[in-house]
Amino acid sequence: MKTSLVGRLALAFLLSFTAAAPAALAAGDGEELDAISHTGDGYYYDLSPFGKIQMPRLFVVRDADGGLGLKAFANSKKAIDSDVIGVEAHGVEAHGNDGVEEGDGIAMETQNEALVTDAVDGGHSEGDDYAEYGGVAPYYAHLVGENGNEIVLDLSPTRHLMFAIFAILLLSLLFLPMAGKYRKGVGRETAPRGLLQNMMETVIIYVRDEIARPNLGDKTNKYLPYLLTVFFFILTCNLLGLVPFGATATANISTTIVLAVFTFIVTQFAGTKDYWGHIFNPPGVPVALKPILIPIEFLGIFTKPFALAIRLFANMTAGHLIILNLIGLIFIIGNSFGAGAGYGTGVAATFMVLFVYALEVLVAFIQAYVFTILSALFIGMASAEHEHDHDHAEDHGLTPHDIAVASANGHAEPHKLHERTVGTEAAYA
Amino acid sequence: MDPLALGYLGAGLGAGLVALAAGLGIGRLAAAALEGSARQPEASGDIRTTMIIAAALIEGVALFGLVVCILMALRTPIA
Repeated sequence: MKTSLVGRLALAFLLSFTAAAPAALAAGDGEELDAISHTGDGYYYDLSPFGKIQMPRLFVVRDADGGLGLKAFANSKKAIDSDVIGVEAHGVEAHGNDGVEEGDGIAMETQNEALVTDAVDGGHSEGDDYAEYGGVAPYYAHLVGENGNEIVLDLSPTRHLMFAIFAILLLSLLFLPMAGKYRKGVGRETAPRGLLQNMMETVIIYVRDEIARPNLGDKTNKYLPYLLTVFFFILTCNLLGLVPFGATATANISTTIVLAVFTFIVTQFAGTKDYWGHIFNPPGVPVALKPILIPIEFLGIFTKPFALAIRLFANMTAGHLIILNLIGLIFIIGNSFGAGAGYGTGVAATFMVLFVYALEVLVAFIQAYVFTILSALFIGMASAEHEHDHDHAEDHGLTPHDIAVASANGHAEPHKLHERTVGTEAAYA
Repeated sequence: MDPLALGYLGAGLGAGLVALAAGLGIGRLAAAALEGSARQPEASGDIRTTMIIAAALIEGVALFGLVVCILMALRTPIA
């Protein structure tokens, strides 16, 4: 496409206003613009200038007789309006219905009055200030059971869950037909055909040759499906958060913890006897140090996947928070120093937001890559096979044969002959 | 000073320190990577890959600290 550099920069500059425009319009309505609730999870889907779509609620409720039941509501407001679920008013839980205190009592009475008048009036229009619910919008309110009911589990779908499911559907739609093509032989016996197959094959071969094979060696084909799934799922979730009106499913600690748990499970099932032996009986370590080293090694089994989860979650959340806070800076300065300063800050902030947005796209790819390569590393370390025909204390010497082999290979790092079971040399052997 | 104010101050200072430390660490990493690439341009692909992995690990540690600071700043006061 022969557009000039200036033209493309101008287009990017104008497009960056799409990030700022919904914020401006939403704030203009008198609604609160909250960076935290935009990044985090919620029981509504935010189409900022056009309104919010509330999501249905689903609860497992234990009623007054002790029986469990499933209760579904069309949205949060209908859940609160029903007899089963109510808003936790300030002080009701702690003090009960007697002992009404000064500050708390007002909220409680307003809520009780409101529940009565609501039943009489029968509903009201959207966009009021929710005074009936204690000043909090129904989808933000902390819901508890009322009239003797008790919420056991809150199974309501949330925004991040919907986008994770959307990512799954998108990936299935893209990859299942492609898998069918490969099964029929297109791309194996003949050259790959079509834009999608060629594009995806580049990425898949990159994951196989640069991420999986160096770490897994001859077990690549066994763990490659898992690594590819993790890579593409994280990449899709990260990128979905960057389009307008999108939400990042991986900006939710639950999603990333589950992915890390999957890596943990695959790593433990890939562990050979050597792996467990090396953890509980580290070789080549003086006996006095073993009581210190064994707990550290044991904890290391759990901290490594945990670090994977936190790294991905924090990267995604921090990026979105930075973008939203830089836009909020416009309003902060505009409110503190007058409208003129606000407009001036708008120009500067838009450039900063554009820069951080581009960085976010890069971080999306890098985080998917790092999660995958660390998973491959852990699985490879767990499933590595050594030959134990001698004591590990002799490990520090290289025989002349190893050095001769290494110099014949072009001065690659000399390995001992029996240790070359994992890695590219094993793959080529 | 009000303990709540001290808490917010701690969160802000912590976030700044975390950014400072991450910048220092990744800066040193990038300097070493560039020097290695300058000495041996044919190894620059491997160096670039290793640099990205190491940078992600350092940034991961920095973000642990940042998550703690965010938790401190968002904690509703026990009033």
